[in-house]
Amino acid sequence: MSYILNGEYWQMSDPTSIPNLLIGHIVMTVVAIVLGLAIAFPIALVVVRYKRFYLPVTSAAGIIYTFPSLAFMALLIPFTGLSPATVLVPLVLYTQVVLIRNIVAAIHAVDPALLEVGRAMGMSGTQLLLRVTLPLALPVIVAGVRVATVTTIGIASIAPLFGVENLGYLIFQGINFSYGEQVMAGVILVSLLAIGADLTLLGVQSILSRGRQIAAVA
Amino acid sequence: MYKIEFRDVSKQYPGAVSHAVDHASFGVGEGSICVLLGTSGSGKTTLLRMVNRLADPTSGEILIDGTPTVAQDAITLRRRIGYVIQQVGLFPHMTIEENVRVVPSILGHTGHDVDSRVDQLLWLVGLEPAEYRKRYPRQLSGGQQQRVGLARALAAEPAILLMDEPFGALDAITRRRLQDELLRIQREMRRTILFVTHDVDEAFKLGDQIVVMSDGSVMQQGSPVELLAQPANEFVSELVGTRNILRQFEFLPVTLALEPVTDGRHPTITADATLLNALLELIRSGADALVVTDTQSGKSQGQVTLRSIARRVQASSTVESALPETTYDHGAAASSRTEGKVTAT
Repeated sequence: MSYILNGEYWQMSDPTSIPNLLIGHIVMTVVAIVLGLAIAFPIALVVVRYKRFYLPVTSAAGIIYTFPSLAFMALLIPFTGLSPATVLVPLVLYTQVVLIRNIVAAIHAVDPALLEVGRAMGMSGTQLLLRVTLPLALPVIVAGVRVATVTTIGIASIAPLFGVENLGYLIFQGINFSYGEQVMAGVILVSLLAIGADLTLLGVQSILSRGRQIAAVA
Repeated sequence: MYKIEFRDVSKQYPGAVSHAVDHASFGVGEGSICVLLGTSGSGKTTLLRMVNRLADPTSGEILIDGTPTVAQDAITLRRRIGYVIQQVGLFPHMTIEENVRVVPSILGHTGHDVDSRVDQLLWLVGLEPAEYRKRYPRQLSGGQQQRVGLARALAAEPAILLMDEPFGALDAITRRRLQDELLRIQREMRRTILFVTHDVDEAFKLGDQIVVMSDGSVMQQGSPVELLAQPANEFVSELVGTRNILRQFEFLPVTLALEPVTDGRHPTITADATLLNALLELIRSGADALVVTDTQSGKSQGQVTLRSIARRVQASSTVESALPETTYDHGAAASSRTEGKVTAT
């Protein structure tokens, strides 16, 4: 704890100070999740519509998820070098399996009677999607985003190996210099970040669940 | 001209051997309640869903105000037709207020007019706006939810209301209360209502016309009285309970038990009264007979006695019974279900 509480490591001018590493970690996670959603959403909508794609798509995403992250990033170095892209590409791809499955499940979980009522009231396809399907599916989708976010925060910790600084820096630096206090600081901060992100998203989920019970984490 | 007219409508679902609806033809008059009565799987819901084009007929056509539904854009058509279902289907993520204003809002109507319209509708279905506007559906009981369902269906002032077993999931007391409310609202609003049910009592209570369906075919269309007095076949007779003496008392008009007047000094009863009204009046007054007088002119049409009523009810208990071609008139019979005026001289 003394490392975390030491004011010396909180100076903004130092690129490897705790706040700067924290910001790096958050930015990387947010970018990965946003890109992940941007890809998963259209894929999920296609899969909902054309059911025969469900198995191939989720299988492919599942297989990608089994690639060891370190090896995956190392393989990308010839193409993207030591850059954020090397870390981001696997992070984004890893989110797909959770996000696609969850979005599809969330949309399928919408009560068909409600869609029928919406149609019977004269909603167009877009109105049905924006006023009924998505508002009802969002809490479950966010439950999936929570899982993906926590996973991403963890995996993102290896980014410093590829020249991108974030909280993982403390862990690797600590190992290199046999400085246990620093390793512990890295581990604790990564965990706190994951817990904080999860609770924040839980808050978002409960706001989106207005009028209903909070959806269980899917 | 009928408000809704079914012309030789058939519907066969892909892969199904038999027709869900088999050559159904009948009309629904403007401002009336037409009940589709039948067992489950009789095609009544399919018939209903074809009116707002949630399904389209395989053959035949449905006309609304004389225009075939398939000639109209499905979305535009649906926005002019209210729809209420058994599962209610309130949107759980919207407040009561938001649910009621869904149709105006998809039509692009917002603002103060819609606000006051929501209040008006909630009052109409018996919910106090101040108390319920901001609540969510799951905070309401089943009966209250269906009241909101009705308010929502009426929001865009549709001329036609489709109701698919709307009270089927409610307990008996709540169901009866909502049926009464529907009749009250209908007296105020005069919509054309197509109402699906498998509950014979409900059909008799609500229907101006009842269409009896079985296996996709229309068995008979008629007023409750016509179905009771002249069932087209054994199925209708069985379903509406021609042998149900209480129902006959309740619905058959007193004019079906007329015999010649023997003594003009007997108390009178108007011709729109039911057999039950007459029976109760005979018991109450202690008279041997009641003189039946024309509702308008007050002229005597004949008399009824305990014996003539009993003979009528026994006669109806056999399927062969038929309506006599006497002074019976549809309008009078329909109103007799709500009020049978009894006057003693």
